[in-house]
Amino acid sequence: MALLEIKNLKKVYTARFSAQQTEALSTVNFSVEEGEFVSIMGESGSGKTTLLNIISTLDDATSGEVYLDGNPLSKIKDKEVSAFRRSTLGFVFQDFNLLDNFSIKDNILLPLVLSKTPIEEMEARLMPIVRNLGIEAHIHKYPYEVSGGQKQRVAVARALITRPKIILADEPTGALDSKASQNLMEILKGINEEGQTILMVTHSTRAASFSKRVLFIRDGSVYHEIYRGGQTADEFMDRISQSLTVLSSRGEGHE
Amino acid sequence: MKGMNNRFFSALALRNIKSNKTLYIPYLLSSIAIIMMFYLMASLMANQFVQERSSALPTLFSLGVIVIAIFSVIFILYTNSFVIKKRKKEIGLYGILGLEKRHVAKILLFETMFTSVASILTGLVAGLVFGRLFFMLLNYLLKLPTDIDYVVAIDPILWTVLLFLAIFAITYIYNVSQFTFANPIKLLKGKTEGEKEPKGSIILFILSLVFLGWGYGISLTIPDPISAISKFFLAVFLVIIGTYLLFISGSIFILKALKKNKRIYYRPGAFISISGMLYRMKQNAVGLANICILASMVIIALSTTLTIYVGSEETLENRYPFENNMSLFGDPEQPELIEQQFADLQAHYEQETEKLGLEVTEMEALRFQSIYGSLDNNRFNFTEAFDGLELNVFGQVIPLEDYNGMTGKNIELAEDEALFYHSNGKYTKEELIIGDRLYQLTPIENDFSAETGLTETIVLVVPDMSHIESMMASYKEQFPDGPIVGLSADIGWNTTGTDEEKKAYADRIRMQSYSVESARYESRDLQREDWYSTNGGFLFLGIFLGLLFTIGTVLITYFKQVSEGFDDREKFQIMQKVGLDKEMIHDSTKSQIIWMFLLPIVVATIHVIFAYPIVSKLLTLFGITNEKTWLLSFIGVVIAFAAIYWVIYRITSKVYYSIVK
Ligand SMILES: Nc1ncnc2c1ncn2[C@@H]1O[C@H](COP(=O)(O)OP(=O)(O)O)[C@@H](O)[C@H]1O
Ligand SMILES: [Mg+2]
Repeated sequence: MALLEIKNLKKVYTARFSAQQTEALSTVNFSVEEGEFVSIMGESGSGKTTLLNIISTLDDATSGEVYLDGNPLSKIKDKEVSAFRRSTLGFVFQDFNLLDNFSIKDNILLPLVLSKTPIEEMEARLMPIVRNLGIEAHIHKYPYEVSGGQKQRVAVARALITRPKIILADEPTGALDSKASQNLMEILKGINEEGQTILMVTHSTRAASFSKRVLFIRDGSVYHEIYRGGQTADEFMDRISQSLTVLSSRGEGHE
Repeated sequence: MKGMNNRFFSALALRNIKSNKTLYIPYLLSSIAIIMMFYLMASLMANQFVQERSSALPTLFSLGVIVIAIFSVIFILYTNSFVIKKRKKEIGLYGILGLEKRHVAKILLFETMFTSVASILTGLVAGLVFGRLFFMLLNYLLKLPTDIDYVVAIDPILWTVLLFLAIFAITYIYNVSQFTFANPIKLLKGKTEGEKEPKGSIILFILSLVFLGWGYGISLTIPDPISAISKFFLAVFLVIIGTYLLFISGSIFILKALKKNKRIYYRPGAFISISGMLYRMKQNAVGLANICILASMVIIALSTTLTIYVGSEETLENRYPFENNMSLFGDPEQPELIEQQFADLQAHYEQETEKLGLEVTEMEALRFQSIYGSLDNNRFNFTEAFDGLELNVFGQVIPLEDYNGMTGKNIELAEDEALFYHSNGKYTKEELIIGDRLYQLTPIENDFSAETGLTETIVLVVPDMSHIESMMASYKEQFPDGPIVGLSADIGWNTTGTDEEKKAYADRIRMQSYSVESARYESRDLQREDWYSTNGGFLFLGIFLGLLFTIGTVLITYFKQVSEGFDDREKFQIMQKVGLDKEMIHDSTKSQIIWMFLLPIVVATIHVIFAYPIVSKLLTLFGITNEKTWLLSFIGVVIAFAAIYWVIYRITSKVYYSIVK
């Protein structure tokens, strides 16, 4: 059984003061196996963030269902949804979403504190992760005192510290320069190699080339996927680029 | 950049204010409230009651005006610094976009002009309307025999305009300096950085204790009511400054200690609220200090005036120890006249009472000579009468005969002996030279004369009238051209009879008294209504001020919660994304209770407890000597205000919650 399974997901936004409707997702079907590293690619406005938000339980689907370990997410009670999010999912956002009033250490510990984890347990988990991510020198600083790349690594640490079933990352390299992006993707790849499942949304072919599988999304549905197989990152990146070129020229009429 | 005219800048300024609605609406509202508060306080200076009731009132009210002025300065600077900090990014952008600093200064100038004119005008109008309405309401509710009018005078309006123009000018200078000396890149990042801990917070903490201790010390050691008036302002000022410093340094100290304790800090509610408060520690502390100071003002204003009102009967009895009181003022040229009057009148009143079928139940008659001077070593040195009340010791010299008659004692005195009472008990020598005589003193309690309590007073009971005569002869020798106060006499008596009979009796005696020379007759019953209406006037002012400061408290609490709500909103959204649930938001707002609710109330209560001695002294100016009344209304007001503030706190924290959730 797949760790994550998305079936016939549909999302229609209705504007608050008018009857105008936007169909962000029409029918999305795919699944993610445990230990996978999947990228979702698509142009801006293609529904990537919407998809991720529904998987994150931050937003509700219009129809269709998301299953985690075979359990439908829509059946989670309102009261338990936050706890579920805290303990099962890890998030990495494009704009970091770190809190300026917390030190780096406290930012990373935040989900554990919210879960009322004993302090000894928190500290025991913290050190290996920050060392692994190369930010142990900065844990007493504040977010505004470190670089963008470091911030994103802090966000990754915050996602990892709850030992989530899956990490959901929305354009994690979107606000980073190429060097920091490279560094972050290597980190994510390393984490994945240790067994962590990752689902990432991106429009960067370079970033996507670090994953094992790439899904292409357009006009609200998945229309293509490619596996890396035994290819190197560079080879895979070429294939991703090719796919994108072919697919976008095929879809030109829609633009 | 040619063609950039004032119109362009003013349009830009207006647009800026509009687009920063969430910042400017609370800012304008609280500025308007404080302007209204100042204006109303200042306008009370022109109030007839304040001007005429007691010579202490105008002084106390002008102190009040100064206190509110200082408070206004601190308050507006604080809210302004908060608003401008939030706008650093936006204004930094102007620099990046190529606007010159003088252009930015011009935009800020227009913004300041618009906001200050708008808030001063609205504040004045609100003050005029509120003052009138509220006086109407209070007149209706209290039903005093005579209404208290709300007077609109031009001076208070002028003061208000000038003061607040000056304050807003300072904010403008501050804001411009913020941008002139900063580089745009820093500004762009400005908002996200936490407040830096003020340097030397230990020194600030010690300073705060020094200021508070000094202020409290003045109150604890105040010797008499006259110095209470003059020192009250200094004490208030010291305590206000001390409060700000205490909250700033103390709250950082406590928060940091809490943060260091991992078992306390790493729990959801504390984690969120402690880090949030540390992040804006100064802002937080100043807000709390504001609430604390206003709370103290409410408590003092209400509890004192309530005491005066509740204590009316007591003060009436202090002022008029008997139902009937006759005072005679002797002519120094004809000393024998008053002696004659004194004897005749006592007999006359006995007769009058009998005529009406009533009986005299109690009568006291006392002749006394007033003297003024100073106690130096073992000598009482005369000064010219009325030569400045503050420096002088006021003395009453009483013949033994009258003292014995009054107290029912049977004391005998040798020619060089006297009974002696000293109001502050500091004169402990066993002898006193006065005029050309030396007396051996026997101390007595003051159980006879209505003590004013205002100045240092001595009472000397001498063997007979001849001692008073020779004493005055010495005074005349020393000050041949000085004013001379003749012998005075008080006759006080109670009678039997119903209230009506007593009233008719008092009316009759009063009519007769008009024909007695240099005399004043006062009936307690006839004075009662008058007395209650003046003391009701105090209560009126007290409730008015209490309400005014409560409104101030409401607005500041509201401002604090709303501004912090908008500040925290983004944070809570991020935390919700990583798994913060609504209940925990509730928890974290709950754990603020100790800070937001308890801290200001507790510190305010400590302030007023320390203010107790100085306020007691001030109350004696209004005839209140019974500590119990004062203590009870004090406790009552503290509890009542805590309850009101609790409601305010609950409502505003709901507002906060609805913003962040
Ligand atoms: N809250 C919303 N209300 C209405 N429409 C929305 C909302 N969020 C996104 N959309 C629309 O849904 C579509 C998909 O958006 P999004 O998922 O953010 O795309 P992506 O992340 O791929 O750029 C877009 O057309 C966008 O305008
Ligand atoms: Mg997106």
